Amino acid sequence: MSKNGFLQIHDPLRPKGHAVGIDLGTTNSLVAAVIQGRPRCVPVDEGEALLLPSVVHYATAGGVVVGARAKGLAASHPTDTIVSVKRFMGRSPEDPETRKLGHYRFASDKGKVVRFEVSGGQPVTPIEVSGEILRALKRRAESHFAGKVEQAVITVPAYFDDAQRQATKDAGRLAGLEVLRLINEPTAAALAYGLDKGSQGTFAVYDLGGGTFDISILQLVEGVFQVKSTGGDSALGGDDFDRAIAERVLQVMGQASPTPSLVAETMAAARKTKELLTHESVVELAVGGHTQSVSRADFELWIRPLVQRTGLVCRRALRDAGVEPGQLDGVILVGGSTRVPAVRAYVAELFGREPLGDIDPDQVVALGAAVQADLLTNADRQDEVLLLDVIPLSLGLETMGGVAEKVIPRNSTIPIAAAQVFTTFQEGQNAMDLHVVQGERELVEDCRSLARFRLSGIPPMPPGMARVEVKFQVDADGILSVTAKEQSTGVSQHITVRPSHGLTDEEIEQMLLDSIEHAEDDIQKRQLREQQVDAERVLVDLRKQLATFPDILDAVERARLDAAVERVTQAANGTDGNAVKEALGVLEQASQPLVERVMNQAIAGALKGHSVEEY
Amino acid sequence: MTCWNCQSATGAAPFCAACGKLAARPPGATHFDTIGLPRGMDLDVGALERQYRELSLKLHPDRFAHADPRERRLSLEQTTGLNEAYKVLKEPVRRAFYLLKLEGVDLEREDGSSRGSMPLAFLEEVMALRERLEEAREAKDLDAAQAMAGEVLTRQQEALGQAQDALRARLASGGTDADALQRAGLALGRVRYFTRFLEEVAAMEEEALG
Repeated sequence: MSKNGFLQIHDPLRPKGHAVGIDLGTTNSLVAAVIQGRPRCVPVDEGEALLLPSVVHYATAGGVVVGARAKGLAASHPTDTIVSVKRFMGRSPEDPETRKLGHYRFASDKGKVVRFEVSGGQPVTPIEVSGEILRALKRRAESHFAGKVEQAVITVPAYFDDAQRQATKDAGRLAGLEVLRLINEPTAAALAYGLDKGSQGTFAVYDLGGGTFDISILQLVEGVFQVKSTGGDSALGGDDFDRAIAERVLQVMGQASPTPSLVAETMAAARKTKELLTHESVVELAVGGHTQSVSRADFELWIRPLVQRTGLVCRRALRDAGVEPGQLDGVILVGGSTRVPAVRAYVAELFGREPLGDIDPDQVVALGAAVQADLLTNADRQDEVLLLDVIPLSLGLETMGGVAEKVIPRNSTIPIAAAQVFTTFQEGQNAMDLHVVQGERELVEDCRSLARFRLSGIPPMPPGMARVEVKFQVDADGILSVTAKEQSTGVSQHITVRPSHGLTDEEIEQMLLDSIEHAEDDIQKRQLREQQVDAERVLVDLRKQLATFPDILDAVERARLDAAVERVTQAANGTDGNAVKEALGVLEQASQPLVERVMNQAIAGALKGHSVEEY
Repeated sequence: MTCWNCQSATGAAPFCAACGKLAARPPGATHFDTIGLPRGMDLDVGALERQYRELSLKLHPDRFAHADPRERRLSLEQTTGLNEAYKVLKEPVRRAFYLLKLEGVDLEREDGSSRGSMPLAFLEEVMALRERLEEAREAKDLDAAQAMAGEVLTRQQEALGQAQDALRARLASGGTDADALQRAGLALGRVRYFTRFLEEVAAMEEEALG
């Protein structure tokens, strides 16, 4: 279909342009929209690719590159190129997970938020990095539609906690998107399947992505999708498969403390090996002059403990839902990592049936999110389907002795509220500290700390007399607000829980202001950076050709070419992206004779030794 | 209560009968009112599921994504109430506790004022059970714990059956049968101890699961 095919249809009911669904993934991100009644992914990267690698590169000269170009810079600029940023969302700098992918430089400031030290400016938070990915998706979708995109449904792993959800929502705001709803990825996947097939029944969604694993048990009855239970591991995914290979390879290479760029290169080689092993039984892995053959059997042995970890989580989710594997009507696979044959085999064994896979596991989440965005914005579709989601982790309060008291148990359908009454334990106690936690463990120290606040102004009373009611309200996005009220006097405090490891509202506002002020600046910097990357690629290519065919040009042609090269080099060191573009144009002309002759030689070479009849 | 939009009187329904706008939740509405089913121990589970789905379709915040802030707030309140009602009513144990509470005896209250006194023999028995469970936990003997859970589940169901009978009698008497109320309280008191026990075994299983 031509890019402009639907532009003629101006829908007055859509003043805000297209509402899109966004799968903000660990490895790749996608954007989809419902177009003429069907969800479809939109090209967002070079070569009309539907997958935008979730990679953000910060250039020395300032400016930001997102996607495949940024991914290409990961090996040469490992600390300025942030990959898998999703794994850092809503995490504190002390979190063990934060250090696990440790080739970044973390700013050691006082903040409670992870900050990456990158070239070309201030340290950036995972929220800002994700914001860049979302902004790129928004911009590229806008250029595809030649129209505005301001509203989005963004997917998050079901297992994301409150802090991670809040961080994702903030990233959307930073990118200039109105986040209509956060929905859980497995739910989105089921939505993509459910609507296409009009099916009824109970489904398991097994979602193994780059960095996270999720399982959800859903029931679809008469247009209502009810999430029965969900579980997962927010630190388990295909990246761990790559790491499993890379660790063995580095071991064989005898690299006890490899450099960041060697780690990045080995990880890239490992990923490629993993992908090839889907269809081949042995793959030769090559990195930094080292080669090693990896068989599918080796690989399956190495990842076995990882794959088995998903089984535990699945059994728990089935149990929470009160469903036996035999009662399922289908198992849906989501996430690129479910392409690994060992994973498919394991799923089939676990659930006792072959999983469904007719929608591309990379696209299914974005497609489902687009369906939800359409349902939320399209008045005609309001009665079609409804999604009833759950909170993935129990919410509670710290009580005496560091014990976590659950106020809302996991897998409660949202929105939900619950209240608990506490009392004072000291004579004349006039304040009470409240510590909100999330998790299943008994002790507070094993749970995730979400927020601390203080209810003050309690009038002096004997111990045990005050009645402080703490009310939790979780909204339809799964985000918590807490109200505490002393019932005899009506003294109350209310907070929307801004997670301890997130950004404050003020910080978000400031970032928004900054991004508006620097928008113009950023565009120029980005253009410059893009041109610089192009220039670098062209020059490398050219040098290679000249080295292979040193005498292919005559002196005049060579002089013209050298002058053009010089011009590009100078422009690329400057600050004007347009100048680089112009210089590249001149260079293209000057290199025309070279390109033609190299091409002719290649054809001649290919023909040599074959009789004409063969063609 | 009066409708915030058209000022006409509203009942317990989630929508104003006159103008069709979302109404505020009426104070004192029971979970049965919220879900639109008659109060009683024996609930038509199919009807409960149907009512829950139909009301969710009408009340859920997704239906009010573009409404003004007041309607969005009301939708959140109504749906929160609906989810709570569904959660309590669909489960026989929770439903029984809730009916008892509607009859004026709240076993869930932290201060334990209306918990009443359980017979000493029962408490001793529970303590013995707990000691056995503790031993199983220390020995990491999940099989033993699960065998005990099987026994306890049978007894929990028995006690629940007695509580349900007593609650039926109480409701049939129009809230006057004091003896039935006391029997219901005692039986649910036992259910409570057994349920705690089962939860602990479940927690143990979960630990073992990883």
